[in-house]
Amino acid sequence: MNVIETENLSFVYGQGTPFEKTANDRLNIQIKEGEFVGIIGHTGSGKSTLVQMLNGLIKPTSGTIRLEGTDIWQSPKEIRKIRFKVGLVFQYPEYQLFEETVEKDIAYGPRNMGLSEGDIRERVISAARFSGLRSELLSKSPFDLSGGEKRRAAIAGVIAMDPDVLILDEPTAGLDPAGRDVLLAQISQYHKERKNTVLLVSHSMEDIAKTADRILVMNRGRAEMLEDTRTVFSRGEELEKMGLRVPQITKIMSGLQKRGFDVPSGILTVEQAAGVLAAYRGRSV
Amino acid sequence: MKDFIKVENVSFRYDSNDTVNKYVLNDISLNINKGEFVALLGHNGCGKSTMAKLLNAMLLPEKGKVFVNGLDTSEPDVSYDVRKTVGLVLQNPDNQLVASIVEEDVAFGPENLGIEPDEIRRRVDEALKAVDMYEYRAHAPYKLSGGQKQRVAIAGIIAMQPQCLVLDEPTAMLDPKGRDEVMATIKKLNREKGITIVLITHYMDEAVQADRVVVMDSGKILTQGSPREVFSEVELLKRHRLDVPQATELMYRLVGMGFPAESLPLDEDECIDRLSKILK
Repeated sequence: MNVIETENLSFVYGQGTPFEKTANDRLNIQIKEGEFVGIIGHTGSGKSTLVQMLNGLIKPTSGTIRLEGTDIWQSPKEIRKIRFKVGLVFQYPEYQLFEETVEKDIAYGPRNMGLSEGDIRERVISAARFSGLRSELLSKSPFDLSGGEKRRAAIAGVIAMDPDVLILDEPTAGLDPAGRDVLLAQISQYHKERKNTVLLVSHSMEDIAKTADRILVMNRGRAEMLEDTRTVFSRGEELEKMGLRVPQITKIMSGLQKRGFDVPSGILTVEQAAGVLAAYRGRSV
Repeated sequence: MKDFIKVENVSFRYDSNDTVNKYVLNDISLNINKGEFVALLGHNGCGKSTMAKLLNAMLLPEKGKVFVNGLDTSEPDVSYDVRKTVGLVLQNPDNQLVASIVEEDVAFGPENLGIEPDEIRRRVDEALKAVDMYEYRAHAPYKLSGGQKQRVAIAGIIAMQPQCLVLDEPTAMLDPKGRDEVMATIKKLNREKGITIVLITHYMDEAVQADRVVVMDSGKILTQGSPREVFSEVELLKRHRLDVPQATELMYRLVGMGFPAESLPLDEDECIDRLSKILK
C-alpha cells in the first residue's frame, strides 16, 4: 500500500511576482508503506520544498498529496495532525532545541499531541534510546551537550511523536565519519524495529547507498527517477549530468565492467565489492 | 620557504580557569612550508578548528607560540598583519557573505584594508576570475548555488591577497558538484598562485589530493605524511574512528582475502588499474 502519493504536485515561490520560481513541477510519486527512500538532487533541485509539503508545512500551489489515501489538505484546520503523522527533522536541527532540559525538549511534541504524562515519559525514553542518547543526558540542559548529542536530541524530539513517516533532511551534515556511521546505523535500526516509512535527504551518496531501498532523484524541480538503489546507481552517467555522483565503490566496479570484467553493476558497499571480487578471482585462478 | 607557519608546543583551552576540562590542544607542534597543500583530518572535537583559528590569530595559544611568516601571533599589534597573511574560510557560505551584490562582497575585505579604488577594482576582478565566478560579478549572492557562494566567499579572502588560505570544512554543506567546484578552485589557487593551503575536511577523497595529510586526535598529532603514507595505516585510522577512501578500503580488504599486497590505491582510477592487472 502507498503511504504517500502525490498527484501533479507543484510549488511555485513568489507566484505572480518577477521572482517567480517553480520549485516542484508536477510531481507524481508513490512511497510504499514501510520503505526507506533516499532523496538526492543538486542544491535547488526542490528536495526541501518537497519534504516541507509532505509534512504540511507549506501548501501546494497545485496538485494533491495523499497520506494513507486521504488528501492532507482536505480540512486545512486539521493540518496539525498531519505533522504528528509525518515527522520532519530539518537540516541542522540542533539549532531548534529550546527547552530547559533535554527531556522537556523531547517531550514537547508528544505533549502537544495531548498524551498523558505516563505516555509522554515512555515516548521520551524510547525516542532517546532509538536516537542513541544516553539516559543520563535527559536531565541536562540541551546547551551543555556536544554537537553530535544535540543533533540526536533534536532527532529524538521528532521520533517521540511516533510518526508513521519520518523525514530527515541531511541528518549527517557536518558530522565526522564515525558520527555519520553511528547515526545512520541508528536510523536504520529504528526503521527496522518500528517498520515505519523513512525518507532520507542527503548529499552523501555513500550514506544513501548504505541505507535506502529506493532512491528519488530530483533535478530542477522534477522527479527524474524513483527506483531501487542499485538501479539508480547503475545510471552513473545520467546522475553526473544532474550534478550528482555515485559512491566511489560503485564507480570502481563499473570501471572494471567497462574494461571487460564480468562483475555486476550497482554495487553499493565495500563489503559487497570485496565479496564479488574475491569470488571473481577464485573463479579465474 | 620552509617554516612559513610554525606552531611550537602549543596548548590551548577555551576557559583557562576551567580545571575540569582538558586542553583542546595539547603541546602540539606543526610546521607548514610556503606553497604547501596540507589536509588536516580528525574527528569532531579533536582540535582541528581551534588550530585553524590559532593560525590566523583569532585565538592565541595559552602555552607555546605560533609564528606566521616570522611574526609571533601573541605579540601585540601583529594580528592585523597575521590576518592579511592567513585568510580563513568557514563551513557555511551564508554566514560569510555580507553584501547584496557579488563584486561588492568581494570588495569588502580590500576596502577595509584601505586600498585605493582602482586597485580594489583590479583585485576584485582578479579574485573572481581565480574562482571562476567573474561572469556572476553583478549577481545577488543569495541566488547562487552553495558551491558558487562558497567560491565567492573564497574570492573575498583572495582579494586581500593572503599568502595562505585556511579552509575549515568548506564543502560540508555542498552538493557533490559544488564540492568538486570548490576543490578544483582550491587546487588551482595552490598550483597557479602558489597560495599555501590548509584544508580541514571529513572527506577522505579530498584529503588524498593534498601534498601532506596531518591527522589529529585529542589535541595532538596522531600521524602525518603523504596521503599514501597516511592512508596505508588503515588499522591505526580505524582504531581512532577515522575513515579511509573506499578505494583504499576495498584493496585493504582484498589483501586480507589473499590478493597480492602492494601499496594501497588512493582513488578510483588507481584502484581500477590495480584490480585490472590482478584479475586479468
